[in-house]
Amino acid sequence: MQYLTALLPRVTLKQALILGGATAPPLVGGAGVLAILLYLMAAGGTATPAPEQPIAFDHSVHAGDAAIPCEFCHRGVGTQAAATVPSVEQCMFCHSVVKTDSPQIQLLQAHWDTNTPVNWARVHRVPDHVRFVHAPHIQAGVACETCHGDVASMEEVKQVRSLAMGDCQGCHRENSASLDCATCHK
Amino acid sequence: MSSSANEAASRASAVSSMGQTIPTDAEVGHPEGVRWGMVVDLDRCTGCQACVVACQAENNIALNEEQRVLERRAKTWIRIERYWEGEFPNAKARFIPVLCQHCGNAPCETVCPVWATYHNNEGLNVQVYNRCIGTRFCANGCPYSVRYFNFWNPEWPEPMNNQLNPDVTVRTKGIIEKCTFCIQRINRVQVTAKTEGREIRSGEVQPACAQSCPTSALVFCDLNDPESAPAQLAEAEAGRSYTLLEHFGTDPGIIYLKKVDPHAEILEDDHAPAEAHA
Repeated sequence: MQYLTALLPRVTLKQALILGGATAPPLVGGAGVLAILLYLMAAGGTATPAPEQPIAFDHSVHAGDAAIPCEFCHRGVGTQAAATVPSVEQCMFCHSVVKTDSPQIQLLQAHWDTNTPVNWARVHRVPDHVRFVHAPHIQAGVACETCHGDVASMEEVKQVRSLAMGDCQGCHRENSASLDCATCHK
Repeated sequence: MSSSANEAASRASAVSSMGQTIPTDAEVGHPEGVRWGMVVDLDRCTGCQACVVACQAENNIALNEEQRVLERRAKTWIRIERYWEGEFPNAKARFIPVLCQHCGNAPCETVCPVWATYHNNEGLNVQVYNRCIGTRFCANGCPYSVRYFNFWNPEWPEPMNNQLNPDVTVRTKGIIEKCTFCIQRINRVQVTAKTEGREIRSGEVQPACAQSCPTSALVFCDLNDPESAPAQLAEAEAGRSYTLLEHFGTDPGIIYLKKVDPHAEILEDDHAPAEAHA
C-alpha cells in the first residue's frame, strides 16, 4: 500500500472530498474504486508507514540508548547533499565485536563476508525536480529531528513530516531562509 | 554596458499577465548584489561547437537527430550562429554563440501565466520546470529564440541513459526549457562557500560552455563585481562591446565583444534578409 500512496498525488481529506464531488457523478459505476483511490490519496498526505528493511536496524538502540550522534553514521550530513547511509564496513567497526551472536548481526556479517552492500529501503525521498542539500541546513543549526522526527525513539524509522513544498516553505519563511524557486528546484 | 541597456534597466517596471508588477533589476537593487552574466568575445570564437557539446552533456539535453533538426525542433541551449561574409574565395565565416541572454527586462517573464519563469535576485532568468504548463508564450516572446519546447519525451539509447547529470531535471514532454547559466553549478559553489564560511571567489563559478571553450571566448562573471576580470575587460573594451538586439531594451546579461571590421562592406539595404539560422 505504501507504494500505491507514494505514486498518487498527495491531497488533504478536504481536497479529496471536493475532487470526489466533482468527478464521481459521471463515473457512478466506478465510484467505489474512486472512493478507495481518494482515500489512499488522502492517506498519502500524512505520515507514511515505515518501509520494511532487509535488516531490522533499531535506531532507538543506537541513537537512543547508546546516544550515538546522528552524524557518526550519517557522515555526509554536514558537508554534502546526501546525509549518506553508512557502508557495511562502517557497521562492522563496532559489530565485528559487539553482539556478534545476534541473528540480525549475522545477516550483516553475511554481507561483510560476501562483499555485498545492504539494500536498505529508502524512507525519505524528495521528488526528482527538487534539490535538497543537507549541509546548509546543518550549518544553520537545524536539528535532525526537526524534519526526521524523534528518530532516537523509533524502532523502525518512518517519515513523520509531509516534506511537501508548503512544508519546506513554511520553515524557510519562519527562519528568513531563501524563498527563491531556484534554491530548491533544479 | 551600453547606455541603452542602462536606460532599459531604469524604465518603469513591467506588468505581468496576472496584473502583478514585476520590478526590473535596477529597482530590486541589484547593482550592489550579484548579477550573473557573461562576456563573449566574438573575435576569439572559432565556431568549434565545444560549448554546444558541453552544454548538451551537462544539462541532460535530448539528442538532436537529423529529423529533429529538419523539423527545426532541435534543442541546443547554446547554439553557434554562422554568417558568411563575401563571396568565395574571399569568404569569411562569422560566428555568434547565442544562448539565453538572462535579460534584466525579459519579455518572456511578463507573459508567463503561471510564473514558471521569473527573475531571481542574482540576475538569472529562471525556468521552473515543474510549474511550466507549456503555453509557449515565452518562446514566442523571446527575441533571441533561445527557449525550446519539448515536443517529445527525451530518450537516450541504452548506455547513455546512465550518463545523465543527477543535478539537472530531465524535462518531460510539454514544457519549455532553456539555458540556466548552469544554475546547478552556481548553487553548488554557493553551498560550498557557505559551508566553508566565506564569500564566492571571482571566477569560481563556471558554466559548462565557458569551461569547455578552448579560446576563452566565453567568460562567465558577476557583472556587478568590480574585481571580476571579465567586468574589467568589458570596461576596457567598451569600444567594441555591444549587446544583442539592444534596441529592444531587454537589458541582456551577456555582453558581446567584436572589433568592427574596417573592410566590411556596408549593405545599402538595411532590411536585406540576413542569412541567419532561424
